[in-house]
Amino acid sequence: MSQRGGAQRPNGAAQGKICQFKLVLLGESAVGKSSLVLRFVKGQFHEYQESTIGAAFLTQTVCLDDTTVKFEIWDTAGQERYHSLAPMYYRGAQAAIVVYDITNQDTFGRAKTWVKELQRQASPNIVIALAGNKADLSNKRMVEYEEAQGYAEENSLLFMETSAKTAMNVNDIFLAIAKKLPKSDSGGQSGQRPQPGVRLNEQNQASEGGCCK
Amino acid sequence: MDEEYDIIVLGTGLTECVLSGLMSVGGRKVLHMDRNKYYGGESASLTPLDEVYKLYKMGDKAPEHLGRGRDWNVDLIPKFIMARGKLVKLLIHTGVTRYLEFKSIEGSYVYKGQKDAIYKVPSDEKEALSTSLMGIFEKRRFRNLVVFIHGFDKNDPRTWKELDPQKTTTKEMFEKFGVDANTQDIAGHALALYRNEDYKNASMVEFIERVKLYFESLTFFRDSKSPYLYPLYGLGELPQGFARLSAIYGGTYMLDKEGCNIVYDDDGKVIGVESGGEVAKCKQVICDPSYAADKTKKTGQVIRALCILNHPVANTKDALSTQIIIPQNQVNRRHDIYVSVVSYTHQIASKGFYLAICSTTVETDNPEKELEPAIRLLGSIEQKFITIKDMYEPVENSEKSGVFISKSYDATSHFETTCDDVLDIYAKVMGEPFDFKKDERLEQQQQQDEM
Repeated sequence: MSQRGGAQRPNGAAQGKICQFKLVLLGESAVGKSSLVLRFVKGQFHEYQESTIGAAFLTQTVCLDDTTVKFEIWDTAGQERYHSLAPMYYRGAQAAIVVYDITNQDTFGRAKTWVKELQRQASPNIVIALAGNKADLSNKRMVEYEEAQGYAEENSLLFMETSAKTAMNVNDIFLAIAKKLPKSDSGGQSGQRPQPGVRLNEQNQASEGGCCK
Repeated sequence: MDEEYDIIVLGTGLTECVLSGLMSVGGRKVLHMDRNKYYGGESASLTPLDEVYKLYKMGDKAPEHLGRGRDWNVDLIPKFIMARGKLVKLLIHTGVTRYLEFKSIEGSYVYKGQKDAIYKVPSDEKEALSTSLMGIFEKRRFRNLVVFIHGFDKNDPRTWKELDPQKTTTKEMFEKFGVDANTQDIAGHALALYRNEDYKNASMVEFIERVKLYFESLTFFRDSKSPYLYPLYGLGELPQGFARLSAIYGGTYMLDKEGCNIVYDDDGKVIGVESGGEVAKCKQVICDPSYAADKTKKTGQVIRALCILNHPVANTKDALSTQIIIPQNQVNRRHDIYVSVVSYTHQIASKGFYLAICSTTVETDNPEKELEPAIRLLGSIEQKFITIKDMYEPVENSEKSGVFISKSYDATSHFETTCDDVLDIYAKVMGEPFDFKKDERLEQQQQQDEM
C-alpha cells in the first residue's frame, strides 16, 4: 500500500513499478499555471481560462522505460494572488514547476523569488523546473531565453520555454522532471520522508482493516 | 478589496477556516483576511523556531543546539484529534483529509496522586487485565461498567440495566456498579475526558456517549494505542487545509492585512470590513474574538507551558507521542491538567527533540505553580515558554448585527468543542444545520480528482 494512500495500480500495469510524486506549480497570477496543467492532464486549452477555481489536484502519469511516474499535481487555487499561499502547499513536494510569462519581466522576477522560497522552505532534494510560458507570443517577448537559461543553470533548475496554447514543450517538461526524480521501490517517498503518516479516508479505518504504521 | 462579498471571515484559526471552507463550498462569495502574515491565528504552528523565541520575547534567535530552525513547527495550543470525532468527519466529508497525513498518538496516561506515578490507560482487553491502575476486584467492577457502556442503547430499555437514561446521573450509575473514587477518576477524566467534576451530577447518557467515542476512536486504526490522531507538521496544517478548500471553491485570501475593523451602519448591522483605508462590503462577518472585542466577554484563563525536551517523558516506554492526564482530584484542584507530547517524528521538531505542552484552566493568582505537577513529570527541560491567555466568548451572536464570533480555544485536549462551535455558527449563518450527507459539489470534485 502506498504511503500516500492514493496510488493504485491501474489494471494491466502490474509489471514495472509505480512511483507517485507531489508536484506543485508556482508563479505569479495569470502566467498560465492552470493552463499548463490542463494541457498536460487533459490536452485542453482555453484562451480565457478562468482564475483557478475548483481544481484541488489533478493526476497524470508519465511512462519511463519500466517505471510509471504518477504526478499528483497541486494548483495554487488562486491563493498566490495576494501573496497568501499556505506553506502546506509546497510542503512535502518532490517537484515544482515555477512558471513565468515570457512577455512580462515582473513575472520572471517573481519566479526567482519562488525559487528562493523553495530552496529555503521545501525538501532539500526537490526537483525544480523553470517554465517560460506563453512562448507562442514571442513577438511580445520581454524575457530573453538566454537570460532565463543562465539563471536556471546557476540554480540547477530544469528549464524550458513552453506554450500551453500550442502544447510546445508541455509534455516534455513533465517528462524531464519525471526522469530527474529519484525512483526508489516505495514510490519516491522513502529517502525524503522516512516515517510518513497516513491519510484518513473511509477505506483505512479499522472496519476495513487499518494501515497505520 | 473594493468588491462586495457575501461573507468576510476575519482570522485564520481553525474555526474560521473550517467555516470559510464550508461557506465557499456552499456557494457563498467569501473574503478571508488575517492581520498576521501567517495562517492559523491562535491555532497556528510557528516556524521557524526563531519565531517562537520572538513571540515569547526571548530574543531573535533560537539557540544553535536545537538544530535547524525550519524543522520546527511549534503549536501554540495543545490538542489532539479524536479519531472518530467530529473533526475527522469534517475532514473526510470535505476531502481536506487528502492534504494531510496523520499519526496515531502512541499512548494515553493518567496520573495517580496516591502513588505519585503515571499509568497507561488500557487500550485493549489485554492491557486492561494486566494494568496496575486498579486492584483485582475493582477491575471486575470496572469491567462490568465498561460492558454496560458498550451495550447501552438509549432507545432500547433492555440495555439500561434498570437505570432510566432520563433520570440517572453519572454518579448514580457509578454507585450502581460500585466503582471506587479512583476508577471514577479514570473513567470520567481519562476516558470521558471531562475536565472537572460537574459531569457527575449530569445525565449518564452524555458520559456514556463520550466513553463510547473514546473506545470507537481507539479502534480507528488497527493497533492504535490511543484514540488520538495528530497531523504531520503540526496542528497549523488543519486551518491551512480548510483554507485551501475555501480557495478552491472561490474564496479569496489576504494575509498581513492591517486593521480589519468591522464597519456597521446606524442600526448596528454590519456593512463591511475596513483595512488600510479601504472597505470591503459584505452582508455577514465571521471572526475570532480578537476582531470583535466589544462584543465578547472574558470567561477565564488558560495557562500553557511549551517545553522543549531532548528525551521522551519517563515511564511512557519512550513514546514519541503521548498524552498525560492529571485528574483534578489527584492533585486537589478543580480542573484537570493535561500534558501532550509530540516529537520530531511528527515533523514538528528537529531530530531528537520533543515538544511537551502542559496546560490547565487557571484557578489561582499563581498559575505557573499550578502546572508544577505536570512539569515535574517531564524531567530536564531545554526551554520553557509560558503563556497565560484570556478566554473569550461572544456576548451575542446575532442575525441582527450579522457578526458571528467564535469562542477561544479552550483547555480541552481535543477539537470536539471547537467543532461544536463551528457547527453552531454554521447553523446561525446559513439558517440551517450542517448536513453531513454527501455534498453534490464536493462529490463531483472528488470524482474529478480521482480521474
